[in-house]
Amino acid sequence: MTSLREPDDLRALRPRLQAMVLVVLLALMVLLGRLCQLQVLEGEHYVRRAERNFIDTIEAPALRGRIFDAQGRPLASNRPAYTLYVTARPRVVVETDDPGARSQTGSRVPLSDAQIDALADLVDFVDAADREQFTAAIVRRRDRDEGIYPFAVRGNLTWQEFARIQTRKDALGDWLEIRESARRFYPAGELTAFVTGYVGEITPEGLANSAGSYRPGDRVGKTGMERQWENYLRGRPGKRSRVVDVHHHPVKDPPRDALAALPPDEDPIPGQDVYLTLDLDLQRVAAEAFADKPAGALVAIEPDTGRIVAMLSVPAIDPNRWQQPIGRDQYKAWSESLLKPFIDRTVQEHYFPGSTYKVVSALAALDDPTFDPEKTITCDGYVNYGGRRFKCTHKHGPVNLEQAIVQSCNVYFYTLAIDTVLSLERMELFARRLGLGERTGIGINSEAKGRIPTEAFEAREGTYQRGVRLNSAIGQGNVTATVLQVAVLYAAIANGGRVMTPYIVDRIETPDRRLVLQNKPQVRRDLEPVLPADRDRIHAGLTGVVNNELGTAYSERLGSVVVAGKTGTAQVGALDKKNKNPKPGPIPGFDFTQDHAWFAAYAPADAPKIVVVAFVEHGGVGADAAAPIVMKVIESYLGSRSETPSRAAPAASPRRCPAGATSKRSSATAAPRPIAPSPSPAPACPATARSAPRRPSPKRQVLPDMSPRPARPRARAAPAARRRPTSRRARSTPPRRSPPRRRSCRDRPSPPVHRARPARPGGLAVTSIGRRRFIAPALLAREVLP
Amino acid sequence: MTSIGRPRSLLRRIVQNIDWVIVTLVAGIIALALINLNSAGTGDWSGKIQVQMRWLGLGTIAAVIVASLDYRVLHRMAYAAYLGGLGLLGLVPLIGVMRNDARRWLELGDYQFQPSELMKILLIAALARYLSDRPSKAPRKVRHLIVPFIMFLVPVALIVNQPDLSTGIICSLVALTILALTELSLKSILALMTTGVTLFMLGWAFFMHKYQRSRIDVWLNPEAYADNEGYQTIQAMIGVGNGGFFGRGVRQGTQNTLDFLPYGDTDFPFAVYAEEWGFLGAAMVLIMFAALVLWGLGLASQARDRFGALLCVGVSSLFFFHVCINVGMVLQLLPVTGITIPFFSVGGSNALAMMLGIGILLSVSRSRHQRG
Repeated sequence: MTSLREPDDLRALRPRLQAMVLVVLLALMVLLGRLCQLQVLEGEHYVRRAERNFIDTIEAPALRGRIFDAQGRPLASNRPAYTLYVTARPRVVVETDDPGARSQTGSRVPLSDAQIDALADLVDFVDAADREQFTAAIVRRRDRDEGIYPFAVRGNLTWQEFARIQTRKDALGDWLEIRESARRFYPAGELTAFVTGYVGEITPEGLANSAGSYRPGDRVGKTGMERQWENYLRGRPGKRSRVVDVHHHPVKDPPRDALAALPPDEDPIPGQDVYLTLDLDLQRVAAEAFADKPAGALVAIEPDTGRIVAMLSVPAIDPNRWQQPIGRDQYKAWSESLLKPFIDRTVQEHYFPGSTYKVVSALAALDDPTFDPEKTITCDGYVNYGGRRFKCTHKHGPVNLEQAIVQSCNVYFYTLAIDTVLSLERMELFARRLGLGERTGIGINSEAKGRIPTEAFEAREGTYQRGVRLNSAIGQGNVTATVLQVAVLYAAIANGGRVMTPYIVDRIETPDRRLVLQNKPQVRRDLEPVLPADRDRIHAGLTGVVNNELGTAYSERLGSVVVAGKTGTAQVGALDKKNKNPKPGPIPGFDFTQDHAWFAAYAPADAPKIVVVAFVEHGGVGADAAAPIVMKVIESYLGSRSETPSRAAPAASPRRCPAGATSKRSSATAAPRPIAPSPSPAPACPATARSAPRRPSPKRQVLPDMSPRPARPRARAAPAARRRPTSRRARSTPPRRSPPRRRSCRDRPSPPVHRARPARPGGLAVTSIGRRRFIAPALLAREVLP
Repeated sequence: MTSIGRPRSLLRRIVQNIDWVIVTLVAGIIALALINLNSAGTGDWSGKIQVQMRWLGLGTIAAVIVASLDYRVLHRMAYAAYLGGLGLLGLVPLIGVMRNDARRWLELGDYQFQPSELMKILLIAALARYLSDRPSKAPRKVRHLIVPFIMFLVPVALIVNQPDLSTGIICSLVALTILALTELSLKSILALMTTGVTLFMLGWAFFMHKYQRSRIDVWLNPEAYADNEGYQTIQAMIGVGNGGFFGRGVRQGTQNTLDFLPYGDTDFPFAVYAEEWGFLGAAMVLIMFAALVLWGLGLASQARDRFGALLCVGVSSLFFFHVCINVGMVLQLLPVTGITIPFFSVGGSNALAMMLGIGILLSVSRSRHQRG
């Protein structure tokens, strides 16, 4: 115990105690310094990181804009739906065994295969591949850093799926979430399948190219309007923020600082509504007329404006089917089907126009000053040329130009081709002027150009023979066109030479009905100065096709209205013929040896309001297969409007022949049935017409009588849309802006022009789009919004 | 020997000689710790926090008893108590309770008790007695330290075997501090440190558990392990930083209340505290702990004898290492270990041991002016 009482000994400890004090003070300084660094100097950084922990921002999806027909009937709308979200790398709750303890969370653990399987068991898959895809999407996600955020793994859950998942949700864990969303619905189904198109999940490539404006799982327009107007239809998603805890559950009573840190909510901006020129009733009539035809297409447009009122391609796939997963078998069946249901036959595929092309040949012939349209050529049923025999349908005897059209005599055109009246160059010139061989500019469903052969082309293809000219003259050989092109061509014939740019979008409005964009008729090319003056003969011929006893479509004439048109029976290629039903189980009414049937018509013949072109694939003879369809559509279109008195009817004014041909014209239009071959020689007419200076054209005064129909009682049509051009000036682009250009562009294909129009009364900067193939960036759609 | 046996004067003497600095500091720390424990929990005063308060009550009674005793009683009992503690430690592998893959607890009715916590105090007392019984004027050499080394290595080995590495580390550090005070030559200290580093390297290479090794990796680069092992570290740092200068307010810290910060009541209560009380509050608590430790060192220099001085140094260093290592870990200055922060972390045995230590400090303080 002595050692306990030795104060000296204690004094000896002091230096070391003092050293210890220093160590303690030093440690305190270090800790305080670090505390100061973290809390005061770098505090902001950690505040942000804390916010990243508890702020959960959900994208509030914007409702997609709707698509309406001309009467405001919906063609594409939205319905409520549920979307399944999965967090592939959730935080795992670590249970402590202390009863009073809170459960703790620690690591993020990727979902196990068993968990994914358990979820997959709750979903209805169309086939094994669908399930595999579903599982693979989650597996892919769980290996990535983004796996910590919920992602949409399956949309449009059925009620059964929704109920099943909802009941098992708590048992499965925190990584599942079902959010409300919207699914696309197409009330008209396959009737408007190619027009509306459909939406589907964005592809990985599309996602990569979108520069972050889309998220995985977003649905985007794939075809049709949905694709072309994607940037207008999609709207802009908004954002909502909430405070969540570590389990990603919303917190009922969050700390006040957390609430203050939430970013302000952004409301989604719904997409803009697209109003089409399409008439659903007429579309239905067309579809019913096609009821027994397995494949074909029909386009109906207004000749004066280029508005498309019906646009049908059969067969089609109901776009609603794309809103659910499609089984591999079903997809295979579609893609291997001989009927090619994926192809929009109005624009995507091009065919031999057959005899419908004869109007181009006739115009080309009339352009030759040495050509006399009254001179008859005797048809013996065939003509020999270059060692080959070119056949006609039967012996027509002596025919002049008009009768050659009426009776669709091939020999007449063969002879012209042999006589080099119809050279490839001349035919090509007129075909191109009339819009063949180039895209019409409607801008949907990857339009085909069609083919107009030149000698160079034939040489390149190795198909150039002298006989090519003969075949080209009757729309065979290497001449191909889309149905829409033929419709535009006949519209130009009907309206006196203006090749219109066809359009199907009338206007675009915001959901609160403010105008965003208004389409106007656009003259793509005004051929009036270059077309031969006596082209009225062609009109007479076309009228005769239906109304002359010898006409190929005489049997299909309508009692109520005088229709002018042209049949076409396009021989299918030799390859197709050899390929006689290559697959077992031939499709009824779809015989590969049969020719394609065409009928292109406009009505009423003297003041055309509608152009209808029908194409029946392997339908046989044009008059039998295609003409009845066209007649039904014309009857329906004009019939439904017969209650409004037509002011145009009595106006038998010089419409198609601008100068010097009034006398000839009168015989054709004033007394259309029966048509006598015009005796008047009028030899100077073409020459005078061509050499005449640009005249102040009687059309100026006449047109107001001709083209404006009394406004149709369409409740929802915007005033601007209803306004008919009252003069040529009004019809084309505003002369104020570019008067010189208007003239210079007339004869050439105009380049895509994107013009900003002056502000409208509503203060909106309205944009009109030259060829409407242009898809404006999303910004444009936003700019017009406040 | 003063008259311990006279009960009438007991109360008077306690009140007269009580060290109000220690009492105030400890009371303040415990009050803050309880508020924080409540905040880190569910927000009500039940469950874990009740257990903790019961243990603190027990600890306070024990501290009062120890404080009222003359600490020289401890001198007499030190070896016996040490052997008893070893016995309890020896019982743990036999009848101990298994929890989280470790066998550290003995069960006494409803209470679970960690003998390793008590061992910290008993080890301090035993070492203090051994070193004060053999004072030497000449600097001791390493060979003089064979017995004290055995004295602390035996319990440390038992503790580490539980496994409870962090308590083992604390015991070693405290023992070495006491040894360093008793006139080890600087050369010996250097030799010890070299040995320590070598042993650590060897242990690192051959004996450490994989999880212990990876903790170092995580400490050096927590962001790489943000979703797994580094999660706690990062969330704790975010919590501390989120507190800012003034703090978010009690039960207003998002890291804490929204459960982003795990182990807010055991390993990381200081992060919860720093988030809710800010730099002001956190610095205040650190200074309070430092004041307690410094006061303890001051008592050591004023102690009546060598035994008292060593006891004070032992208890002070116990507090110092607990606070320093825990806070260092929260602030990412040190790797994550299970070393708790006194009173802020739940743990009954720890609270009891710490209160015993406070009782010893009070006892030494009471008798510091009573020479002879």
